[in-house]
Amino acid sequence: MTLGTDQSAADRLAPQRSNRKALDRSLALLLVGTVALMPPIAGIFLINGTILGIPFTLLYVLAVWALLVIGAAALSRTLRDSDETLPAAEDQPPKG
Amino acid sequence: MLSVDILLAVCLGYVALLFIIAFIVDRRTRQGPMRWLHSPVIYTLSISVYCTSWTFYGAVGSAARNGLEFVAIYLGPTLVFVGWWWLLRKLVRIAKVHRTTSIADLISSRYGKSPSLAVLVTVIAVIATTPYIALQLQSVTRSYQVIAGEADGITTAFWVAAGMALFTILFGTRNLDANERHHGVVAAIAFEAIVKLLALIAVGVFAVWGVAGGLGNVFADVPAEAIRGAGDIFGPRWVTLTFLSATAIICLPRQFQVTVVENIEERHLGTASWLFPLYLLGISLFIMPIAFVGLKVLPAGSNPDLFVLTLPLAEQQNELALFAFLGGFSSATSMVIVAAIAVSTMVSNHIVMPVALRFLAVGRTVGSDVRGLLLTSRRISIAAILGLGFLYFRLSGGSDALAAIGLIAFVGVAQFLPSLLGGIFWRGANRAGALTGLICGTLLWAYTLFLPSFGGDFILSAAVLADGPWGIAALRPQSLLGLTEMDPLVHAVVWSVGFNALTFIAISSLTGADALERLQGALFVNVYRSTGGEAQAITEHSVDTEDLYVLAQRILGRDHARRLFEEMAQAQYAIHGMPRVTDQVIARLERELAGSIGAASAHAVVTRITGNQTVGMTELIDIASETQELIETSRQLSQKSAELERAAQQLREVNERLRTLDAQKDEFLSQVSHELRTPMTSVRSFSEILLSDQDVTDTERAQFVSIIHDESLRLTRLLDEILNISRLEAGTVDLLILPVDVNSAVTGALNSIAGMTRNRKVEISFEGAEDGVQVLANDDRLRQALINVLSNAVKYNGSRLPRIDIRTHATGAHVSIDIIDNGGGVTREEAATVFDKFTRGNRGDADQGAGLGLTISRAIMQAMGGDLTVEFVSDGSSFFRLKLVRDNSLVVQQATGDD
Repeated sequence: MTLGTDQSAADRLAPQRSNRKALDRSLALLLVGTVALMPPIAGIFLINGTILGIPFTLLYVLAVWALLVIGAAALSRTLRDSDETLPAAEDQPPKG
Repeated sequence: MLSVDILLAVCLGYVALLFIIAFIVDRRTRQGPMRWLHSPVIYTLSISVYCTSWTFYGAVGSAARNGLEFVAIYLGPTLVFVGWWWLLRKLVRIAKVHRTTSIADLISSRYGKSPSLAVLVTVIAVIATTPYIALQLQSVTRSYQVIAGEADGITTAFWVAAGMALFTILFGTRNLDANERHHGVVAAIAFEAIVKLLALIAVGVFAVWGVAGGLGNVFADVPAEAIRGAGDIFGPRWVTLTFLSATAIICLPRQFQVTVVENIEERHLGTASWLFPLYLLGISLFIMPIAFVGLKVLPAGSNPDLFVLTLPLAEQQNELALFAFLGGFSSATSMVIVAAIAVSTMVSNHIVMPVALRFLAVGRTVGSDVRGLLLTSRRISIAAILGLGFLYFRLSGGSDALAAIGLIAFVGVAQFLPSLLGGIFWRGANRAGALTGLICGTLLWAYTLFLPSFGGDFILSAAVLADGPWGIAALRPQSLLGLTEMDPLVHAVVWSVGFNALTFIAISSLTGADALERLQGALFVNVYRSTGGEAQAITEHSVDTEDLYVLAQRILGRDHARRLFEEMAQAQYAIHGMPRVTDQVIARLERELAGSIGAASAHAVVTRITGNQTVGMTELIDIASETQELIETSRQLSQKSAELERAAQQLREVNERLRTLDAQKDEFLSQVSHELRTPMTSVRSFSEILLSDQDVTDTERAQFVSIIHDESLRLTRLLDEILNISRLEAGTVDLLILPVDVNSAVTGALNSIAGMTRNRKVEISFEGAEDGVQVLANDDRLRQALINVLSNAVKYNGSRLPRIDIRTHATGAHVSIDIIDNGGGVTREEAATVFDKFTRGNRGDADQGAGLGLTISRAIMQAMGGDLTVEFVSDGSSFFRLKLVRDNSLVVQQATGDD
């Protein structure tokens, strides 16, 4: 899952700086989610027993999932209004 | 059990509702864009076409058999949307810029618009999708049988397939949108997404609180193994499943269709990045409870794949069962519709069209109505794909082997991943690498997973599966080269995707690419960089614009083609007619055509007509070295910072001006108060005397009243003048400007001050302009300004023999009137403030005005387009100059007569 070395400097400059920040953060979120849900870390939470009647492992997976959703929702604010660089004229579906 | 009639009625009613939704939305969109349809929520809901009936029924079955494992199928997409939306955004941007209509189109377009790649990807997509469609038909048939009792499964499946084909043809091919968007279908899919989510949650809530009596009871005596599954849940299979589902959400043709092609605005991905994972979480929430409650309540041996239906039925909840059936029906139909649209677009664009264009082409122009052909081929493709799905279902006899087909299809489309990712992030990737990788991966996938899934009934015999071909153990399909201790799925992914990526990278780096590949590579990888420059070279092509126009008409339709060509003509500043054929025009036309028939076909058609490959100047610059890009970037950066610097400087200047104006305003106010105060004081003091002092004689009284009267007249005059100035300065006075004879204006003014000049014995000499010189002015106002300046010259003249010279010159467009007195004029220091309000000269007698005369005069002159200035002569003396606009329309006016 590497970014590829060929991604040019201009490519990364084109979105606004806030978007770059959002990109970095979303990468971090992806990393945290992957580590938390993949072995070997996920294996730590293979514990028998229940909390509020729900098996612990199931609860763990659901909780990480929910946190990912919340994290993504917080990040998505910065993604807004990033359409400016899109060539508008070419995006018009024909009308009529 | 429900009666067949009710079930049929509900089904038909539901389908009718879908038709109505799609129909209304389609029609309304034609009239104009619909705001709510452009909502990111609709977009996100349409992405949930990922959750097919395989999710709706199969996830519960998987949870009952393997515990938590089913979650991995939803974690992959969650991770992609949460952390990899920028990959999707890049795909969306590329698809918009290059008018990409499918994943086959994208891959082929990236690798030099290669037709062979397009065909290969299309074939893989068809092979992977057909069983998947069969799976949906099976689940609808099974659920129908469960609710309505044993019905003829094949007949049911046939009608379901036929109905879906009809719907897809009606709403998927109504028109050839240049962007391949289907608003009606998307709205219907979004509606179905809500139905399936609500149905699953309703069954879940019923299972937990209606049947089990609370969450605690659901998991009460569930052994830990039931949750962990048979082996180590977080093992290689878990990782593989997550990877596969993450890949599928990008590479599945139907997901590409809804996520990339149907995307209206890029920022909708921002909402989808959290809303879609939330949707998946909502879908998954009750899967395990339903599975465990089903295992407890339903008789042993019940099929867990149908718990969602059988649980409510066993508890006599017929309405809930019906709702659950509709949920399953929704998830199946939405998948079938979108998959059929996506795959039929690929088949018709990449397989039917190239063949058709070859046969239909006569000479250099395209022979018949391509547009009609395109629609027909799409419709037939849709019917054929659903027919294939039905055939597959029929032949496989609805066996349980179908249940595994979801994952098999995932591995199949995962073969697209290396070429796709490499294509948009790595400029070195080339066609040879992509072709080799795809072929190797697909062959390995077929050998290790797809063919073995038939259990020895299709091509590979049971003996080959067990012992390898020709008894060579190292070639056993499910344990290649002795990799035995592996889950078959993990084994297949490691071999197929691994080998695919390996050969892709190796061949790409070992072989070169042609110009078009390199160009497309640069355009795709650097899609965010806008190329500002226009193509410099305008090569005249031998091809006639008419030929191109005819081609565009046939493929895009008459209206669209006309609009496109008018736009291109305007871009060349041609007022009417056709655009000249330049590289730019051809490139633009090719891009537009690609939106309808795919990049490879569009390229083939355009190349044949124009007779050469079109690589524009701008695009050539794009393939230039990285250094070029860096130079460009730094140039833009320094330009930006210079712009910022300029803006800051302007701001500073404006601020300075505002400060000065503010100070001037304060000064003006204090001067006005001061000027008003003097007459007011005398008015007040005389009226106080009149009020309080009884001994005032009649004569004195008359004198005082006269003073009060004079002073109030002076006040009124002062206020009038102030008002005049502010009106003139604000430009709110509309002066009636007419041609005025200069000489008569000056003479008139001199007559007005004749009494004054006679009293002071001022000698006047007037040197007029030649006869008939006229200026544009307001007669009264010009006279007012002249009188003001002249009377100043009289009043402030301290000379013993006062004398005023008036000279008029007409130079070019202007006429100036110089008023020169021998009083010495104003000094240079005075000149700076002489036009300010309330400024009086420091010579002359005591009876002076308020000091507004010159201010008003200058304002008048400026309002008439002229000016009033102080001019200096070399000997240090100065004089006033009134400058006016000369009227040159005399001749014209005479010619036009009475006007």
